[in-house]
Amino acid sequence: MTFVSNSSLPVSRWQEWRAALRMPTIVALSFAVIAIVIAWSLAPQLFTTYSPVVGVPADKLLGPSLSHWFGTDHLGRDLYTRVVYGTASSVSSALVAVVIGVLFGGLIGLLAGFLGGWVDILLARLVDVLLSIPKFLLAVIIVTAIGFETINAAIATGISAVAFFARVTRSEVIKTRQATFVEASFLSGGSRWYILSRHVVPNASRSVLPLAVLQFGESILVIASLAFLGYGDPPPSSDWGLLISIGKDYLKWPWLVYAPAFVTIVTVLSVNRISRWLRKTD
Amino acid sequence: MSNAYLTYAAKRLGQAVVVILLAYVFTFVVVSILPGDPITSVLRNPQNGFSEQEIGEIIAAQGLDQPVLVQLWHSLSGFLTGDLGVSMRSNRPVSTLIAEVIPSTLILASSGLAVALFLAFAVAYGTQVLPKRYGQGLLRAFPSLFQSTPNFVIGLFLIHLFGFQLRLFRVIEPDSFWATLFAAITIGIPFSAQIAEVLIANLDHEAKQEYASVARSRGIGQRRLFTRHLLKPASLPVVTVIALTVGELLGNSLITETVFGRTGLGSLVQRSVSTQDLPVLQAIVSLGAVVFVLVNLIADLLYPLLDPRVKMVVGKKYRSTAAGEPSLDPTKAVNP
Amino acid sequence: MASQDRLNTHLTAIKTVASHAANPTSLVRAENLSVSYGGNKVVHDVSFELGRGKSLALIGESGSGKSTIARAVLRLLPSGGHASGKVVFDGQDVLSLSERQFRPLRGRAIGFVPQDPGNSLNPVRTIGAQAMEAAALTDEPNASIRKELILETFAQVGLDNPQRVYDSYPHQLSGGMLQRVLIGLAVLPRPALLVADEPTSALDVTIQKRILDLLTRLQHDLDISLLLITHDLAIAAERADQLVVLKDGSVQEAGKTASVFSSPTSAYARKLHADVPALNPNRYAKLRDPGFRLLDGKTAKAPKIEVNSITKTFEVDGKVLTAVDDVSFAVPAGTTHALVGESGSGKTTTIRLLLGLDEPDTGSISVAGDDLAGRSQKDLRAVWRHLQLVYQNPFTSLDPTWTVERLVREPLDRFKIGTAAERTQQVREALTNVGLADHLLSRKPGALSGGQRQRVAIARSLVLKPDVIVLDEPTSALDVSVQADIVEVLLSLQAKLGLTYVFVSHDLALVRQLAHTVSVMQRGRIVEHGTVGDIFDNPSHAYTATLLESIPSGLSGDTSEAAHRRVSRAERKEAFA
Repeated sequence: MTFVSNSSLPVSRWQEWRAALRMPTIVALSFAVIAIVIAWSLAPQLFTTYSPVVGVPADKLLGPSLSHWFGTDHLGRDLYTRVVYGTASSVSSALVAVVIGVLFGGLIGLLAGFLGGWVDILLARLVDVLLSIPKFLLAVIIVTAIGFETINAAIATGISAVAFFARVTRSEVIKTRQATFVEASFLSGGSRWYILSRHVVPNASRSVLPLAVLQFGESILVIASLAFLGYGDPPPSSDWGLLISIGKDYLKWPWLVYAPAFVTIVTVLSVNRISRWLRKTD
Repeated sequence: MSNAYLTYAAKRLGQAVVVILLAYVFTFVVVSILPGDPITSVLRNPQNGFSEQEIGEIIAAQGLDQPVLVQLWHSLSGFLTGDLGVSMRSNRPVSTLIAEVIPSTLILASSGLAVALFLAFAVAYGTQVLPKRYGQGLLRAFPSLFQSTPNFVIGLFLIHLFGFQLRLFRVIEPDSFWATLFAAITIGIPFSAQIAEVLIANLDHEAKQEYASVARSRGIGQRRLFTRHLLKPASLPVVTVIALTVGELLGNSLITETVFGRTGLGSLVQRSVSTQDLPVLQAIVSLGAVVFVLVNLIADLLYPLLDPRVKMVVGKKYRSTAAGEPSLDPTKAVNP
Repeated sequence: MASQDRLNTHLTAIKTVASHAANPTSLVRAENLSVSYGGNKVVHDVSFELGRGKSLALIGESGSGKSTIARAVLRLLPSGGHASGKVVFDGQDVLSLSERQFRPLRGRAIGFVPQDPGNSLNPVRTIGAQAMEAAALTDEPNASIRKELILETFAQVGLDNPQRVYDSYPHQLSGGMLQRVLIGLAVLPRPALLVADEPTSALDVTIQKRILDLLTRLQHDLDISLLLITHDLAIAAERADQLVVLKDGSVQEAGKTASVFSSPTSAYARKLHADVPALNPNRYAKLRDPGFRLLDGKTAKAPKIEVNSITKTFEVDGKVLTAVDDVSFAVPAGTTHALVGESGSGKTTTIRLLLGLDEPDTGSISVAGDDLAGRSQKDLRAVWRHLQLVYQNPFTSLDPTWTVERLVREPLDRFKIGTAAERTQQVREALTNVGLADHLLSRKPGALSGGQRQRVAIARSLVLKPDVIVLDEPTSALDVSVQADIVEVLLSLQAKLGLTYVFVSHDLALVRQLAHTVSVMQRGRIVEHGTVGDIFDNPSHAYTATLLESIPSGLSGDTSEAAHRRVSRAERKEAFA
């Protein structure tokens, strides 16, 4: 491999990069939100001085103020701190779910779409079956079977997304496989596996990527729902869904619901916005 | 009714039966083979206060002492004859338990669906007909916003605003008209966001098609263009979307019923999960699969009748009519 | 026919909106019309004038702004488009009217015939339902008379079974029939102006001619002004009284057809004229001559390609379709053999069989003496080493995720030819041969123009130094000027490297420019074959003659009235036979 063009035309490369990175303000804002959320989950202690577990009983159920941005809960704990410390498990578990869904779903779809024949028929039936069970119910029974923990909720969410990704990948693979450029590569002497890895996978994954990002947002919601129903880590952990679930018993102090809800919505909205942008720039 | 259609219908029906059976087996595998052990976790839980003899009776009654394959066979043959087994927890037939709660959930789900359709079509109509400056942007943000909002948050917001602040309904009477309406809105909004997203994208796509320009060149106005030209082709794919996501109504009812304190299938699932009542869970999940498969069967059978372009091809789902010689270039082989 | 008379009286009763003429001779006048999208100006200060009952053609290649102008006149610009300047229609500046004021003019006073009939009718509604919308514009209150009017109009535009058409869905009719329907719907309310945006570019050549004849006839019979948008100079010259030549949104030249066509003054119009194959059959004579010399000495060498009575059938929906029926031809080395036919003639299937992508049911194919029959995929690779293909559409034949360098290099890597450094050298050589600069090596197809992409595709097929290249309509997705460049590249490569070409095309004029021998295909069979001279000067089969007649010639000196008389006789025969 040579990169002659690279050295001879650094300017155009640079311009291409800049053009690729150009984005609307709202997308830049979304990236900023995601950056903050990632920072929260990596190093929550940098963003707050309060303890997420131990509260000051005298300060219980205070409204939002400068010292307590999101107010305090019934045990006098700073809610903002609880949200920040809950980020890691709320968000990284969604990542686990996406990886499971995309990896297994993608593999099934790839094999079904590329091999065709009885493999396709067999896998398609499997996917039909997975698809026929309502996703949320599927996640609920899986998490019931393997135990109430946030990581299990993430696994359950991931498994319930496998069918969707298998379907999407399969149709993308079939679409790409029939593309003229694939036949052109075949005529250039490319073997089946060569074409699969060099042409089909890169092209199919271009359409799967925005959907994976979208699934990340949806997984945050599903895991929050499972946590809301009490199928995640128990208190004193502070998953966003769990915080809202606790807050619902204190509706007189609505910030206990609205603050974690706001953070959840803004995060998911940002993720969805980025996904949409990826789809458009494709 | 053409011969081709009947063949197609028969084939689809056969597939549906197979999928339902496999879904039943799959659920059985998940609930009985995965690591969780209901016997130790529930029956032997001292809080439940079962004596050893009672435990033995339950195990014998449920056939839990038999090999898994035998259990599966009994369970599946029961399912086929309409016998859903007996609850482990209350010792009552599962079908009775479900029958008790299903009307409430049906009311919730169907009114939720109605709310969803109404909202989705209203929003989509607005995006096509309203002039740009009158809040079209706001309407277009609707699907995105509500797909990003957990539906329990919507529910809690409605309870907080209309129950606590405006006192429109009493939270302790979850089956009153207002409480049911707000529960339906809670379940309907995320669903409508999904439908609206697809509908708006389709409408935008159809509006860009040449036939829309040609229709406008015949002096057709924006409203008539929407109702006469764009609506039908744009809504046809929505049939598929609704069919594919209708199962989520059941999933969402779980949360909505919890938030509003209603009894229904969702609360039954909640209870069965916490007590590990596997026969009930197995039955409800299979019911979900049956509903999903039937709704999709209906959608698939309806589709060829709604869309004149679709032609039944046995073996494939359906295919656009594009006859003629095969081509080197797929772009010209397919009739757009 | 009696109903015809009734229709005519009825149509006269529907007085056109344009009756109270502010200016008795001019119907449409564009003054400094500019159109921009966002900050991007695509049409610059275009002015023209179209008289009543006259025709004017806007000519240009893609990006010239011709269709944008048509849409500006109809006020159907896509959202984001903004028109400034003036478009005076019948004394009113339509650009200054509100949408509400303008809408009554659409359809009633200005009719529109679109480019692609296949996409121009709502696919899920019947033709009749959509025709009713046009009929409603006549203000005829009685629904059954409106329907009668529609059926009569359908008959008038040459549709055989009007009731059947009325009840059909668009996908049940052919492209030619749909275009007749659309023309019928456009003229039904009797507009004063008909805007036709490339009305025939999506149709087969023989149908193309009939549709143009129909438009010309209706224009004269119903006294309608025609604004014709086309990329084809020859068509424009045949059909319009006046021409406006556009490039990049600006007028290059305008005037009476005869003068613009026969003695263009602007450089661009001259180039356009020189690039139209139909008008320059001998443009590449010098480059092509070596091949003819090889043909003369044919006794010496065995042909490079021999196809012996191959047949291929497909089963479509239970019916057996013979796509290729007893086809034979031979191509001497170093020459170009053209397969000519309309869509569905079996030419594409023939080359798939030739490449070994499908197997013929019967018959044999040999390439450079090697028989193709019964070869495994591995053995076929050996054939492809010397036999390459250039696809019709460069927008789909290049992997969008790959760079130009990787794309052109792929065959060398796959066939493991030479060392890494040699491969790089060969890639550069191939790109130089097709006239592409080195700095494009790192680009992806998305950053290239259509012509550049097709050059990359040709470079890819060239890099293996094959003996034979199969060209599947390699220029049909490209503009004429780009086509001329590509053809020149192909012919000079042939002269330089002694390549053998199998050239598939529907465009007879192009074939005449570059082929040595020709096979004319119809419904899977070769109906006539011979040298290019034989076929074009002495066609023996009626179908070949029809194809030849369909080539627009841009006949200068043929006044439009004379053309009209000639045309309408032929058209009536065809329409009401």
